[in-house]
Amino acid sequence: MENVIELRELTKTYGTRRGLTGLTLDVVRGEVFGFLGPNGAGKSTTIRLLLDLIRPTAGSATVLGLDPRGEGVELRRRVGYLAGDFVCDGRQNVRSYLRFLAALRGGVPEARIDDLADRLGLDQTAKIKKLSKGNRQKVGLVQAFMHTPEVLILDEPTSGLDPLVQQTFLDMVAEAAAGGQTVFMSSHIMSEVEAVAHRVGIIRDGRLVALDTVANLRTGTVRDVEVTFETSVPATAFADLPGASRLSLDETGTTLSGQVAGSPDALIKALSRYTVTSLRATEPALEELFHSYYEGAEAAPRTESARIA
Amino acid sequence: MSAAVFAKTLSDSRRSLIGWAVGTALVGMVYASTYPSQRQNTESIPEALRESLHVDGTAAGYLQATVFGVIVPLLAMIYGVAMGSRAIASDEESGQLDLLLAHPITRTRFALQRFGALVAGAFGIAALVWLAVLAVRSSAELTSVTPVELLAQCLNLALLAITFGALALGIGAAVGRRAVVLVVSAIAGVLAYTASTFATQIGADWLAYLSPFHYYIGGEPLKNGFQWGDGAVLVIASAVFVVAGVVRFNNRDVNS
Repeated sequence: MENVIELRELTKTYGTRRGLTGLTLDVVRGEVFGFLGPNGAGKSTTIRLLLDLIRPTAGSATVLGLDPRGEGVELRRRVGYLAGDFVCDGRQNVRSYLRFLAALRGGVPEARIDDLADRLGLDQTAKIKKLSKGNRQKVGLVQAFMHTPEVLILDEPTSGLDPLVQQTFLDMVAEAAAGGQTVFMSSHIMSEVEAVAHRVGIIRDGRLVALDTVANLRTGTVRDVEVTFETSVPATAFADLPGASRLSLDETGTTLSGQVAGSPDALIKALSRYTVTSLRATEPALEELFHSYYEGAEAAPRTESARIA
Repeated sequence: MSAAVFAKTLSDSRRSLIGWAVGTALVGMVYASTYPSQRQNTESIPEALRESLHVDGTAAGYLQATVFGVIVPLLAMIYGVAMGSRAIASDEESGQLDLLLAHPITRTRFALQRFGALVAGAFGIAALVWLAVLAVRSSAELTSVTPVELLAQCLNLALLAITFGALALGIGAAVGRRAVVLVVSAIAGVLAYTASTFATQIGADWLAYLSPFHYYIGGEPLKNGFQWGDGAVLVIASAVFVVAGVVRFNNRDVNS
């Protein structure tokens, strides 16, 4: 499979502040890659390095085999970008601003812009500065998608969007991927990435701490389980189950509740020896796994001097 | 790649540009039209005193000391600094630069198109000032100054605005902070004016040669017509400011 984004030992320091430390990562063509991490973990730093808005301290990055610095114009022509904090000129209406951005790209079919705006429910006659945060974000989405770029690099794309529009956005991402476009999107919310991403990378304090497919991550996660039995079962009936150390029986021995990590297969087989009257198990939430990576992370990368002090 | 940034910059600033140009031209016109009454005042001063005060009672001397000596070049310089600071530093501080530079355009091209818009605006202002003074030329008894000599002074006016615009744009490109641009440009403006005006008085004639103001009016275009050498100095200074700023711009991070 062809790598569309390649990061090799990518490092960025801002003075003494650490932004990114030795990030190595590949994103393949046609994939939706979720780039997760708490605020200040280095997500935007990575993305801005890809677009040559900032320059790496060490290491390298390529997008579509192109060097952001030397071949930036060609690279940016083939990439759609949405900044984490999307800011645009507010003095004019949406239509004329989008037309200007399209002109910077040498033109985009008008119908395509109208189509995207309609789909997201964006009124193109409105003045940009009068738009709500969510509607301004839609302007950002339209400009990122409008030229149907080979690669979409989206920094916290759903911020400010209502749930309905979020769903539309996720559909757009899924369609883009189906059409062969590659999507690299960052977020600090697992659930929105989980729905569309094929693979997820978790970054913390400028380092990649986890990288796996959503399916694999899910197998390692925990689900809540509650089982009710017709009659009491022995207190030790489920004590030795692998991955079920967090299960407990109530005093009457008729309700088993708690959490199961990984596959529930062993639990199911053990349950089959008794008469079960009800069973409830939740979808495994990646959220929890994600939180375990977050724990101990500070809001912003530590400074070298602060650690010494 | 088109001239989209150039066109957009001009169209975005059209209201303020037109307002500024009309205002500058009106100020110039009003000042110029008071020449007849001012001449009577100067004529009432005894010849010897007039000479010792360096009061030049001719139309060219009057225009040089008032219209083109203080207020109009000041307005033109302010225009240059305002446009120059907006070109990069303002957009960078507001975060808009991120979006624009994420498009298929090099930073150099972006800066040059912004500079191009500034240059076009400066010529627009100068042209309007020229027309405004021409309009009152005969009624204000300024016919001893030819339209070409007026044009020569207005060309230098445009170049002065461009020089300060280039300075502001260059600093903005280099550091990306509007406050720095405005402070440095204001200091440069005051120093330029002072050096050009008072160099002789403080006995340091060479100081004047460091001032863009000297190249703007020192050659007295209202009496001598086009001063190509002076104009070239202003053009070269502008180029140096822009190139230095753009080189630094290309090598630094865009602030987020």
